[in-house]
Amino acid sequence: MIIFKIAFRSIFRQKRRSILTALSMFGGFFLSAFFIGFSDGSYNQIINMFTRNNLGHIQIHESTYLDKPSLYKTIRDYEDIYKKLQSIKEVDAFTPRIYSAGIVSVGEKSTGVKITGVDPKRENIATNFNKKIYEGDVFSDENSYEVIIGKGLAKILKASPGDDLVVISQGADGSIANDSFKIVGLSKSGNELEDRITMYIPIKVAQELLTLQGRIHEIAITIKKLNTVPEITELINEKIGSDKIIAEPWQAFAKSFYNAMQADVEGMWVMLVIIMFVVAVGVLNTVLMSVLERRREYGVLKAMGTKPGDIIKLILVEINILAVICIALGSIAALGINYYLSIHGITLAEPFSYGGMYFRHMTSEINLRSFVIPAVIVILSATVVGFFPALKAAKTDPAKAMRTH
Amino acid sequence: MEQKTIISTENLVKTYKDNGMEAKAVRGISLEITSGEFTAVVGPSGSGKTTFLNLISGLDTPTSGTVQINNRLISEMKGRELSDFRRDNIGFVFQSYNLIPVLTVEENIEYIMLLQNVPKRERHDRVIKILDKVGLNGMESRRPTQLSGGQQQRVAIARAMVSNPTLILADEPTANLDSKMGSELLEMMKVLNETTGMTFIFSTHDQMIMERARRLITLKDGIVKTDEIR
Repeated sequence: MIIFKIAFRSIFRQKRRSILTALSMFGGFFLSAFFIGFSDGSYNQIINMFTRNNLGHIQIHESTYLDKPSLYKTIRDYEDIYKKLQSIKEVDAFTPRIYSAGIVSVGEKSTGVKITGVDPKRENIATNFNKKIYEGDVFSDENSYEVIIGKGLAKILKASPGDDLVVISQGADGSIANDSFKIVGLSKSGNELEDRITMYIPIKVAQELLTLQGRIHEIAITIKKLNTVPEITELINEKIGSDKIIAEPWQAFAKSFYNAMQADVEGMWVMLVIIMFVVAVGVLNTVLMSVLERRREYGVLKAMGTKPGDIIKLILVEINILAVICIALGSIAALGINYYLSIHGITLAEPFSYGGMYFRHMTSEINLRSFVIPAVIVILSATVVGFFPALKAAKTDPAKAMRTH
Repeated sequence: MEQKTIISTENLVKTYKDNGMEAKAVRGISLEITSGEFTAVVGPSGSGKTTFLNLISGLDTPTSGTVQINNRLISEMKGRELSDFRRDNIGFVFQSYNLIPVLTVEENIEYIMLLQNVPKRERHDRVIKILDKVGLNGMESRRPTQLSGGQQQRVAIARAMVSNPTLILADEPTANLDSKMGSELLEMMKVLNETTGMTFIFSTHDQMIMERARRLITLKDGIVKTDEIR
């Protein structure tokens, strides 16, 4: 207790020096907490754009479909899987899809496309499909021969809503699949590459066109909490209970995107190491100075019988009290700015592209790790760096220290 | 009062090495100090007074020779054993008082008792009692900066005595005080010496201490020049 008393009161002894030490700790904590909160907010926003608004957080396929997609690798008893998904309360929504490749033409213009069969109602709930339509309308009926094409594709075909579009593809039975559709809407997913090749038709029409009656290629699932994806994936696989049909998380079916994100996250750690270094230098400087000035005092304490370990404890407690105060103040400041940015965000002057998608408005996020990681960083760096001066103080020779005036 | 030898040094030598040069601060001191003595170690600067006090208190280790306190060979002790021995047997009074500035008078005095794990109530009682003895009643919650030099030195004496050590070592205790305050303090230490039977050893240049000391050990060039018992 007396060690704590001396440590605590010593903080207020050399106010200017304590403020200097505190500033480096506070600055380090605040910057780290802000940086992690903002990074997490931005990354989750990007992940959400990719998953919630497009791919889904989890997808179910025939087990080899992702490695080598094929028209023939289908899910047959999908109504049964629907029932199982409905029994999982963490599942927010799900939607079936069919994929194929084909050639489309409008007038004299032709190009290759990715045909995507969607269930309009389910797709709206799961991935806000209707919000992607920026011109024209959604499908009038789930059996209608209507098509929604990407913005880029419309540009290539010089097409607009109301035009007729002819599709040629291959049916699952080996026949040539072809039919005429009316363009009802143009979509913009935020992914320019995707918008240049994508066309959507109702899933029932796609099943008929591609002779895939009663079969689909994919069920895209969105869940309530992004961070529970691994557990929910496992739970779905348990419920399906098959080796042939499996659920996989977004990290598996959007591997290149996930790897790019991971590389960016590693960049964040580099930044945190730099911040830790700044904190360490600030603390080392001032604590070393303080130890040299108080050498005589440590000499007296040792002469009276204080153990070297208690002197080390005294200095480390002093640094850590200051660290805790800085963390508390830094938490309030970081909470304030992260809360503000989680609501209002930052709008960039120029949008930036990530994985073909464009982002302009970035928001922050308030989460536990954006406070815990900086707190650990500040306490750890202050303790590690403070240990050297503490050791020096503990080794003070009382006889020599007392001779120093 | 029965008197027994509490400090015994034999052929005590301390040599300092600096840049390959050897300087002998103490050159073979052999003497005995008995309990209850009020002894002054005097001599010109560089005569080895402070080194001698550091050696007999275990703050410094001799190059050769031995120091025994209460028949325990402290010149052979190291680390924790030595630090515990100092805590329980020796009280220090320094020229510059050396109180812990962030602690109150009471906390400064009870510090050693905290290291000795003395219970809270007993600590408080002993602090009040010793403050009464050194004439600082009611000042237990003051900080050292709120006291005069003489009052701070009284606190230092109280701190040195509160754990009832075998001996009190005082290095130039009156050097920073004016003669009136120095005289009062010295008188107080003499009374404490007589009433408690604690052994006091001073290193000093102060004529007042030399006059009041019952034993005067004069050092010159690291050896005992005279040893006068009055």
